[in-house]
Amino acid sequence: MTQGLPLAVDGLTKQFGPVRAVDDLSFTVAPGKVTGFLGPNGAGKTTTLRCLLGLVAPTAGTTRIGDRDYRDLPRPLHTVGAALEATGFHPGRSAREHLRVLALSGGIALERVDQVLAQVGLSQAAERRTGGFSLGMRQRLQLAAAMLGDPGVLLLDEPANGLDPEGIAWLRGFLRHLAGQGRTVLVSSHVLAEVEQTVQDVVIIAGGRLVRACPLAELRGSAGGVVVRTPDPEALRAALPPESVRAQDDGTLLVSGLEPHAVGHAAFVAGVELHELRAATTELEDVFLELTRAPATGAVA
Amino acid sequence: MTTTAVPRPDGRPRLLRAELLKVASTRMWVGLLIGAVLYVALQVVSLYFATLTANTGGGPTVPTLRTAEGVRNLFAGAGGAYLFALVVGILGMTQEFRFQTITGAFLAVPRRGRIVAAKMGAYALVGAAYALVGLVVGYLLAVILLAFTDHAPIGLATLGQIAGGAVLGAALYAVLGVAVGTLVRNQIAALLGALVWVLLVEALLVAFLPAVGRWLPGGALSAVLQSTGLGNATYLPVWGGALLLLGYALVLAGAAAATTLRRDVS
Repeated sequence: MTQGLPLAVDGLTKQFGPVRAVDDLSFTVAPGKVTGFLGPNGAGKTTTLRCLLGLVAPTAGTTRIGDRDYRDLPRPLHTVGAALEATGFHPGRSAREHLRVLALSGGIALERVDQVLAQVGLSQAAERRTGGFSLGMRQRLQLAAAMLGDPGVLLLDEPANGLDPEGIAWLRGFLRHLAGQGRTVLVSSHVLAEVEQTVQDVVIIAGGRLVRACPLAELRGSAGGVVVRTPDPEALRAALPPESVRAQDDGTLLVSGLEPHAVGHAAFVAGVELHELRAATTELEDVFLELTRAPATGAVA
Repeated sequence: MTTTAVPRPDGRPRLLRAELLKVASTRMWVGLLIGAVLYVALQVVSLYFATLTANTGGGPTVPTLRTAEGVRNLFAGAGGAYLFALVVGILGMTQEFRFQTITGAFLAVPRRGRIVAAKMGAYALVGAAYALVGLVVGYLLAVILLAFTDHAPIGLATLGQIAGGAVLGAALYAVLGVAVGTLVRNQIAALLGALVWVLLVEALLVAFLPAVGRWLPGGALSAVLQSTGLGNATYLPVWGGALLLLGYALVLAGAAAATTLRRDVS
């Protein structure tokens, strides 16, 4: 494996005719972690990934893999593995031949082909023509192609699309495993919940602009908190740090900065009756929607 | 994009092998090879009957099989695989865009021109192979047909000359096809455009304006094939025709490198 390299997107702008798909976008991605690249459909995720891979020429700005432009990498497939949505297969070519073509093109030992097929669970389908593949099998084949050169950097565009729940669970483990080996893993998705359990960092874009780039925990911090329902809100407020409690429309209190067990303990000690006590993690998706819906003014974290 | 002179551990043979595997791993080449063989067979048979009937009707004066020229023309019909070589070259390149496999190719080799060069090399071999198979079938057929006919003798040197021209011509036409496919990425457009050009526009120009026609790809091909045709057009020497064809392929590929090959792949 080549080492994981940081990725840097700097002032990236891409204009397609009248459409500005990416607008002065800057962010970095660190090795050794899974980073979620999030945004609604049409936010510019795919265009950004294609710029990083030298497939699309930026109108302005630069993209770097380590300290190089992708097109200047001496052995690109050994450095970066990519699984892009619109990367095609010849329908009449078998999965194994597809990978053998790529391995030859990229200067990769042909033994790798069967290894990566096994890695993604496609060994049984190796001889089958890709024209008969399901979407999930195509995704796995894309992933196998990305892994061919045992690269330190993986760029995956919506890799969970078309996978069944079992496949998604497998993908999560697979990506965490890869990042655990020190690789740089950037995974795009338009659904935060899909990658929520996998990513450590998030880069959120909307309308081609950066909305937020931060650790997921930080996003959770702004989202999270504890939801409490009690017949005696004033007593609970008195038992908790000032400024940490906020009344919500549905009659519950939202406590920020504390874990559920701490809130429960404080209520118990103060003798306050509770009817409901839960972590507000489900609201992460709401935060995401809120962030990406708001006019993207580039509120960089 | 900046360029740096990084020594690459890979050689061109690797990319050539990849391109040949692309050809071998789908069935397209089989269908077109069958087409080429049928076309050659049809051409030899129709040439044979044309010489038989030429003497009875008032049609164009076709050299009969009792003349050396007539027999030579019959065997030259065996070298007709070039059209299928052109088509296989066009399809080989345009299907990369059609099925979006070009993305994977460019990811593996970001210097896009290298892919096109390797593909030209691979399809030159495919075109030459088509010509060889066509020659074997066409020659056999001609020999069988001549066994039933009073005919002039033909020398091995002439047969070798026809075969050499056919192989070189088909190889160069396949290269030309790759160049056309790089410039016109839409498969249908590239195929239709090339066929209309070869079968209609160029055929007319070569026939009616031979002074212009000899400088066109079709005229250059005729020079390579050394076909006498029906008219008495004077073609370039073989080497001149070959260079001219290669020149056309390079000019088209150069135009593609400056335009379509640079385009965003998405």
